[in-house]
Amino acid sequence: MPYDEPEPDDPQVLVGVTVPGDAESAREMAGTFADEFARMGFGRSDILALFHDPSYAGAHDALARLGDAEVARLVDESLGVWGHVRHAVEDAPPALGSAADVGLDDSNRFLKVLK
Amino acid sequence: MPQVNNWQLGREMGYVYDAKYPARQFAFVFNINRCIACQTCTMACKSTWTFSKGQEHMWWANVETKPYGGYPQSWDAKILRMLEEANPGEQRWSEQASADGGQPYGQYEGQTIYEAAERALTPDSARVLGYLPTDEEWNSPNIYEDNPVGGRGVRNQLHTTGEQLPTHNTWFFYLARICNHCSYPACLAACPRKAIYKRSEDGIVLIDQEQCRGYRKCVEACPYKKAMYRGNTRTSEKCIACYPRVEGTDPESDGQPMETRCMASCIGQIRMQGLVQLNDDGSWAEDRQNPLYYLVHVAKVALPLYPQLGTQPNGYYIPPRWVPRPYLRQMFGPGVDEAIERYANPDRELLAVLQLFRRSNKIIFRYEFEEGPQVYEGTLRGRPVTLYNDTVIAFGNDGNELFRTTVEEPIHVRPEQHANSI
Repeated sequence: MPYDEPEPDDPQVLVGVTVPGDAESAREMAGTFADEFARMGFGRSDILALFHDPSYAGAHDALARLGDAEVARLVDESLGVWGHVRHAVEDAPPALGSAADVGLDDSNRFLKVLK
Repeated sequence: MPQVNNWQLGREMGYVYDAKYPARQFAFVFNINRCIACQTCTMACKSTWTFSKGQEHMWWANVETKPYGGYPQSWDAKILRMLEEANPGEQRWSEQASADGGQPYGQYEGQTIYEAAERALTPDSARVLGYLPTDEEWNSPNIYEDNPVGGRGVRNQLHTTGEQLPTHNTWFFYLARICNHCSYPACLAACPRKAIYKRSEDGIVLIDQEQCRGYRKCVEACPYKKAMYRGNTRTSEKCIACYPRVEGTDPESDGQPMETRCMASCIGQIRMQGLVQLNDDGSWAEDRQNPLYYLVHVAKVALPLYPQLGTQPNGYYIPPRWVPRPYLRQMFGPGVDEAIERYANPDRELLAVLQLFRRSNKIIFRYEFEEGPQVYEGTLRGRPVTLYNDTVIAFGNDGNELFRTTVEEPIHVRPEQHANSI
């Protein structure tokens, strides 16, 4: 990892051309992240936190380009659809005699964790 | 040079050896739309397989920022340029996909790394068009990409607010990569010792450490640069697809085929791995209820990485929606437009299959889809959306149910003794 400023004669310094970005591609990227994480069950504050965390450069860069209000609008738009549903995942019970089977009766076999 | 069928190119091509295919093929799908470059996969692999002396520069699994990042640096730009120089202006696709699926992406009219090598290389130098990356290109994965760094002179500590992150005034996305365990591996073709082999049971490509003498022909030939040289053992090493897990011999697997470490650790839920059945010509046998078959051949949302190189890679990617199409067509072939259109407007079965990602660490061999009542109807960014209370059920290698996912209520159910495990 680099700890100093890039030096012009450093052979590892990125040499390339700028591929232009625009607000439209940033908006599409922000909308995609909002859709994907809304589909995964993230809530509004969790998704917005992703955009506000500078360590997630893609989402954060979109926030910088589009502004808080536009990103919040995109997130609300996604949650307006995907927030209507949640996905319940139910593991199959362990096979009798398998290593995962600890002999619980059916009434105690699952632990339900509220999201 | 023997001719083999490359279904991704829609034609036969020259390869160093006669065609021979495994009983089942290791394959995977990565959904780029979800990847946020957390690097958990990278570290899961590193801490499992490449933590030893001499492996410091090895990242069998890595995530790089496209279009400007790469590990080793510029690996794809370099091999694409070599192909272009070998066959100027001719690296094109016919873009005429056939209805019967025989040429799902049309026909590639350019040259592969094997075909170009016949013209561009002398017979003694190599059998495959490629290059040996420099030490500098290997040494600093993610240099100047979007990964946070520490303060000047401060090691093992990141800026908590990320203000030292480089910024790039362009579109970008994160490309997660492992060895593609290609059907026509360039590393295998190039090895003068025949130390590299493709397992007959699952198509995983391995380097026999007893046979390897460290000539680095595999490093030079692999266009994805996923074979790496280890100086202190003087041999080359590569991703082994966590084969004890895939075999079901890992203690954790309970005897059932299990997904690799990088797949299982993915917190973005972008990954699904499986074993697919093959026809006699190496194409995928119809297996409608296999989720990978569905994503690649039915929904056609998952595409091979740089298919024009000719190795018939077994890693497939759902391309990012926001990236300019010409770049994506170069990276994933002509199927990009259809893939993005279908992914951006998923039907109910595609939505259901996407719910299979990362719900279990066991390999899913079959799924069933049960339709439920409509629960929502509206629009999203101008497009109509209808959601249903559907259920998708996943089955393992032994035919037993692994789990089921239903659109209904916000609960996640785990066995009590593994409530907090991944």
